[in-house]
Amino acid sequence: MTANQQSNEVTVKHRHRPEGPEKHILVFIFSIILTAIAFAAVMAGGVNATFAVILLLVMAVLQVFVQMGYWMHLKDKGHLMPILFMIGGFFVASTAIVMALFWVWW
Amino acid sequence: MTSHAEHVNGELPHEPEKATLEGRNKVLGFWLFLGGEAVLFGTLFATFLALRNQNNEGPTAGELFSLPITAVATLILLVSSLTSVFAIQAMHRHNVKSLINWLIVTVGLGLAFLGLEIYEFYEYIVHESFDMKTSAFSSAFYTLVGFHGAHVAFGVVWIGILIGQLYRKGLNVVTAPKVYVSAMYWHFIDVVWVFIFSVVYLLGKVA
Amino acid sequence: MAHAHAHGHSVKRYTGLMDWITTVDHKKIGILYLLAGAFFFGIGGIEAILIRIQLIKPMNDFVSAQVFNELITMHGTTMIFLGVMPIIFALMNAIIPLQIGARDVAFPFLNSLGFWTFLFGGLLLNLSWIMGGAPDAGWTAYTPLSSTEYSTTRGVDFYTIGLQIAGLGTLIGGINFLVTIITMRAPGMSFMRMPMFTWTAFITSAMILFAFPAITVGLVLLSFDRLLGANFFDVASGGNPVLWQHIFWIFGHPEVYILILPAFGIISEVIPTFSRKRLFGYSSMVFATILIAFLGFMVWAHHMFTTGLGPVANALFSIATMLIAVPTGIKIFNWLFTMWGGQIRFTSANLFAIGFVPTFVMGGVTGVMLASAPADFQFHDTYFVVAHFHYVIVGGLVFGLFSGLHYWWPKMFGRILDERLGKWTFWTFAIGFHLTFFVQHFLGLLGMQRRIVSYLPNQHFDTLNLISTIGAFLMGVGVILFLVNVVLTTKKPAGVANDPWEDGRTLEWSIPSPPPEYNFKQIPLVRGIDAFWKEKMAGNKGMTPAEPVGPIHMPSPSILPFVMSVGLFIAGLGFMFSTEDFSNAFMSLIFNKYIVMIVGLVITFAAMVARSLYDDHGYHIEVEELEEEGKA
Repeated sequence: MTANQQSNEVTVKHRHRPEGPEKHILVFIFSIILTAIAFAAVMAGGVNATFAVILLLVMAVLQVFVQMGYWMHLKDKGHLMPILFMIGGFFVASTAIVMALFWVWW
Repeated sequence: MTSHAEHVNGELPHEPEKATLEGRNKVLGFWLFLGGEAVLFGTLFATFLALRNQNNEGPTAGELFSLPITAVATLILLVSSLTSVFAIQAMHRHNVKSLINWLIVTVGLGLAFLGLEIYEFYEYIVHESFDMKTSAFSSAFYTLVGFHGAHVAFGVVWIGILIGQLYRKGLNVVTAPKVYVSAMYWHFIDVVWVFIFSVVYLLGKVA
Repeated sequence: MAHAHAHGHSVKRYTGLMDWITTVDHKKIGILYLLAGAFFFGIGGIEAILIRIQLIKPMNDFVSAQVFNELITMHGTTMIFLGVMPIIFALMNAIIPLQIGARDVAFPFLNSLGFWTFLFGGLLLNLSWIMGGAPDAGWTAYTPLSSTEYSTTRGVDFYTIGLQIAGLGTLIGGINFLVTIITMRAPGMSFMRMPMFTWTAFITSAMILFAFPAITVGLVLLSFDRLLGANFFDVASGGNPVLWQHIFWIFGHPEVYILILPAFGIISEVIPTFSRKRLFGYSSMVFATILIAFLGFMVWAHHMFTTGLGPVANALFSIATMLIAVPTGIKIFNWLFTMWGGQIRFTSANLFAIGFVPTFVMGGVTGVMLASAPADFQFHDTYFVVAHFHYVIVGGLVFGLFSGLHYWWPKMFGRILDERLGKWTFWTFAIGFHLTFFVQHFLGLLGMQRRIVSYLPNQHFDTLNLISTIGAFLMGVGVILFLVNVVLTTKKPAGVANDPWEDGRTLEWSIPSPPPEYNFKQIPLVRGIDAFWKEKMAGNKGMTPAEPVGPIHMPSPSILPFVMSVGLFIAGLGFMFSTEDFSNAFMSLIFNKYIVMIVGLVITFAAMVARSLYDDHGYHIEVEELEEEGKA
């Protein structure tokens, strides 16, 4: 009620049906499965190290991708700027990672 | 301003967090902040990766970490991310009661995660004599994981305060963006933890 | 109840000092940034003069080696973080909302918070002079020189904590401007109709967002090493000093583009105005700005060619660095083509802008020379590098800032700076600048290292150093002339026209000088690039409004940003002295047990909680008041 007096008017859109929990639960199950695969691969032991690194990173990136898309609504429209700036952040972060892996020890 | 009932009388739009320019600015500004946080954690990860094998005759990652405990912590944080999704869905249905309940569950899970992390650090420091000063690896480990833990602690306090505000002020176009933004923050913390679990703990066992 | 809050003037309006401490008006915050920036710029300038006095002749003993190290460290750190950055923010605050046709910034409260954290961070850093020694490890604070082993005073702790707090303010400011520019543009102002200064402010803010978190981490690591006994950079315990260099420059290189891009923007406003021509190649300017920002994040290791990264890394970073010359060259040609065939007026603002072009080209050319890794092995850590970065930062950025200050002074303060004195400022400063730094190229090529406290006679250094010092004094005269100009102008009556240069092209020139606190009585409708010029050419008196006159909502002033910053300041001091050996039992108790630090953090968090709990309803300026002000 107080904010109705804010400079900007409250735009009341027509009511659309709130989305159900189903797809979020699917994302959750998907995340659990990915985590379990990574966990199991390490606990089982004897996995080739290079293979393990690739597997773990793929599992993590996939999981983050769906979580940011669905849970943080990046897949919804009107998120161009957030997507651009998240890509920017991850890009700069990745330069730091490359630095750490290749240019600190020689 | 007496109860939250009057704010849930159907005048609120479906997404109350985006009803005002102020709300939309807050959400966008927080996204940009998260872009900066990505660089912050990226640099911390880089530091950890550079120093991960520098154990200076102290414990190595392989000797130290107990995967079952961290797996439980991972599960807890993942579930809490899901419950904060449910909280936002309740907010979009204008169901303040359900919103508050899901937020309480989220905070509870966050506290459980923090408890496990404190237990883990306590074990390392007291029983493994592995502290900040042990090695470059230990410094990098405590700084990266500790920064994440501090984020969780901040989130717990923050969402706790928001729960109190929802009780007092109800759901309106001022409180809604705050709740939405705190949920974004919470998801982001979970995302960072996914990488910590994979890169610090799981890869620590492999290498 | 809320109604009364919003429509009545129940909101407390402060006056005098309290007004300035509590203001959330971007124009006032701009003036605060300008004052603080000028203060630190003065300190940095005095440090520069002292450095040059020490180097005026061989084997001079004007200052000790330790003091000299402190002077060069504080000169660099102060000038970059506390001198020019806030003056950039001053102009951004004063002008950006006006240029995009907005009444305010997106986050007025955070804007204020950004200023106060910056100021208290800067004050903390400079307190080091009177609290046991300034930082002495160079502005780059390379480890192990900055470790407790080699830098035994508290100086580097002041550096890490002071910059941490100031950097937080800069990050907040950056996010504020990004959101402001994304969401608050007037109707019709698409991204490709934004003035170039707004574009460069946007890109600079994005770079701040992505670069500052890296230095935040770097400073955390260094302060943990020094204060908590961590081992990030301690070789004996497995750390690696090269890591610090990487993290510092992952931030540090983008930082220099953060500095120069707004200067590019200022030049791109001043040159078209005083050439009476639209900016040549607007879209290529935008493209070049974005490309410079992108490449700016991929070249950091060119500061580390001699570290030993190996030929592959050196080649990669060498090529990436040279690539930056392409978009920069595009910009230079666009400025030249804008002037080509224009009706050029040599106002002081335009003198600085035109002087910028060749000076910056010289800095750019030495930049490409330094980008060549094999050649850099010769140039590295010599005065050649010092000459290069002063050509781009002083000859580029400071010229740009002077240009912008002369250009926008009437908009900010309602008074035009004296043109005669302005031209004197330009000529003394420009000639002094080239005297100081042109000869330093040759000093470097002759083998004089940077950061040395003295040199032996008869190595061909003597005359060139003398010339350099004379030039530095001349630059000082230029700055003093500017200050005299400011004082004299302030005594003149205010009230210049909306468009005092008569050739203003952008929206800020369509409103009064200085603007009312709500900027635009009616938000303007933008019908093209150079929106105001377009209307003038169409024979219209002003902008077409995009809305009827209505009550204007304003945010309330707040003391909380100031309180939060004071809290951080106290917490910083507490953390810094947590390892100090006090002979006093009470002092040991409150510092070594982290009590001071916790008190500071509690103050900050309490203010944050207060901000969250008590909604800011703001207040409205009613239509009647707007009409009255319009008449007066």
